[in-house]
Amino acid sequence: MTATDASDAVAAAVGPRRRRLPSRGSRRRRLSFDYVSFMLVFLGLPLAIFLIFVIWPFIQAVFYSMTDWTGFTAEFNVIGLGNFEKLINDPIFMRAMGNSIKIAIVVPLVTIVIALTFATLITVGGSSRGQIRGIRNSSFYRVVSFFPYVIPAIVIALIWRQMFDPSAGLLNGILTGLGFDQFESYAWLGKVSTALPVTMFVIIWGAVGFYMLLFIAAIKGVPAETLEAARIDGAGRFRSAVSIVIPLIRDNVQTAFIYLGIMALDAFVFVQALNPSGGPDNSTLVMSQQLFRTAFTQGQFGYASAMGVVLAIITLLFAALVFIINWATGGRDEGGRA
Amino acid sequence: MASVTYDQATRVYPGQERPAVDALNLEVADGEFLVLVGPSGCGKSTSLRMLAGLEDVNSGRILIGDRDVTDVQPKDRDIAMVFQNYALYPHMSVADNMGFALKIAGTPKAQIRERVEEAAKILDLTEYLDRKPKALSGGQRQRVAMGRAIVRQPQVFLMDEPLSNLDAKLRVQTRTQIASLQRRLGVTTVYVTHDQTEALTMGDRIAVLKDGLLQQVGTPREMYDTPANVFVAGFIGSPAMNLGSFAVADGKANLGDTHIPLTRTTIDALTEEDKGEITLGFRPESLDVATEGEEGAFAINVNLVEELGSDAFVYGQLAAREVAEHVTSGAGEAQLIARVDPRRPPMKGDKIWVKVRAGEAHVFSSATGLRLPA
Repeated sequence: MTATDASDAVAAAVGPRRRRLPSRGSRRRRLSFDYVSFMLVFLGLPLAIFLIFVIWPFIQAVFYSMTDWTGFTAEFNVIGLGNFEKLINDPIFMRAMGNSIKIAIVVPLVTIVIALTFATLITVGGSSRGQIRGIRNSSFYRVVSFFPYVIPAIVIALIWRQMFDPSAGLLNGILTGLGFDQFESYAWLGKVSTALPVTMFVIIWGAVGFYMLLFIAAIKGVPAETLEAARIDGAGRFRSAVSIVIPLIRDNVQTAFIYLGIMALDAFVFVQALNPSGGPDNSTLVMSQQLFRTAFTQGQFGYASAMGVVLAIITLLFAALVFIINWATGGRDEGGRA
Repeated sequence: MASVTYDQATRVYPGQERPAVDALNLEVADGEFLVLVGPSGCGKSTSLRMLAGLEDVNSGRILIGDRDVTDVQPKDRDIAMVFQNYALYPHMSVADNMGFALKIAGTPKAQIRERVEEAAKILDLTEYLDRKPKALSGGQRQRVAMGRAIVRQPQVFLMDEPLSNLDAKLRVQTRTQIASLQRRLGVTTVYVTHDQTEALTMGDRIAVLKDGLLQQVGTPREMYDTPANVFVAGFIGSPAMNLGSFAVADGKANLGDTHIPLTRTTIDALTEEDKGEITLGFRPESLDVATEGEEGAFAINVNLVEELGSDAFVYGQLAAREVAEHVTSGAGEAQLIARVDPRRPPMKGDKIWVKVRAGEAHVFSSATGLRLPA
């Protein structure tokens, strides 16, 4: 009597259940070498790697966030939620969190609006007569606008830091050259009012090219006939973009929003390079920067882990928010691109 | 309502020498149903898209009514178009799809609703108004695309092979629906198809194009009875017309042992360039079964018999092997098609004798391909 027979007998004894699922017994796989080795290599191995290198560090981080570990000794005490309590009452961290949230709101929104505008112009923004096409020389603009993405973020940040230099910077040089003498030695990154906006500008400048390319690819996936139909229905360029193009690529926009949000909540490279000290009055300090400082300069790994946990939770909340907004505005029954 | 005029309209695609549409002159009367037909790549879709404004016009003019629309944007041409793949907006409901144009035009909501419902009733779509296109069948989507055009109440309907994505049965059904709908609405319609049956059954007039050049315009009857050249003769009609190149001698067209008498006018119309040859065309139904030795009769080896109930068609080759390749069916392979009595069809492998019924042969110049007087 084989194993299958035995299970059949059990199933027969259960009766009604077997009748409901008549093909169950015959469809059960045999544990052949082929099947087992396939499962081990393609399911077991990736799962093990994922568990060991992704899930376990998460759990570890959560655990360390409840300790007073310094990071440089083997000893630590479990102090429960003490670190989190301390975080809430830490004005510098709350400031950093505020800045991070500001960046996470402004950067994705502005980047996506600019990227969508450019992508639409390049793909369907051309003459309203004749075939659907982009503006003149659109392929040139497409290549040029992708350049920033090819440059490493740290290099972008350093270039712009030089540009914003109060006395030797290109920006102030141009502005004073144009006659705006009040910018003679204006410290863009050194003033509370401009430091954060300027930082956001640099992040957006670096990101627009890539997201534009992403949207261009998405718009190219919209059948030309659909756009032509809209055109004949009387829709101009702007109307076509708003009523046809954007609804049809909303999945891509949502994905871009989440990616950008995650990047903006981190933003470590940019802020660290533009203002290593956290900016005037900590006005450009972000969570990841404060985390780095706490862990490696102040030697409080337990406390820094708590910051990491908060950062992770905020990132997850952000993603959830994007999904909910998309769902609530009618994205739930999209996807049927007939 | 308005007429449509192509005046020497030409379209050359960038980077190409030969125009896709070459100096097209065509007039579509007010309320007329004109079918543009031709093989793929003949420029029929391009012509339609030029009228829609979706394709530039390199030279010449296009008029809708008395208005020159050559440089007018598609949205201002007051036309509606039905696309091959329907081009419905997938994120909108059927009602929104149909009402989109009116919404853009700023029509009051109540009026949009009313007109959409009216069109939906005509097209039997009322119960689907709240559905998204992906929840519809191919035939229903096609009707929504039609509805979107009707709701506009445009001056001209443009249809670009709207039936080619439907299955055979639905295509025949929808064909008659569209034709009768057009007659009822009385809107000038330009319809593109590659299917000559659709052209013959639907159009008030047919325009045949080939390689960007207009070959002939006329009513279905004219196209069938008096094709202007060899191409039209071979293209219109199903099964296709048999076309053979014959040598002219003694007032007869000769091919092997076959001798078909020609009229005086035909022989007089022949020129030097024809080099004593003539192209003869005869439709499958113009052949009568004859007996051996009759004047003008020729033998066919039967390869295949297609029985359709009402008709039976014999597919074969001239029995005279050395000249068999001189007779083709349409522009196709060397074969000869004859209609025979469906109650007494020959068998495969038989040899039958047929002759062309007097006065039903079409004669064409072998040099120019143009029709000669019979």
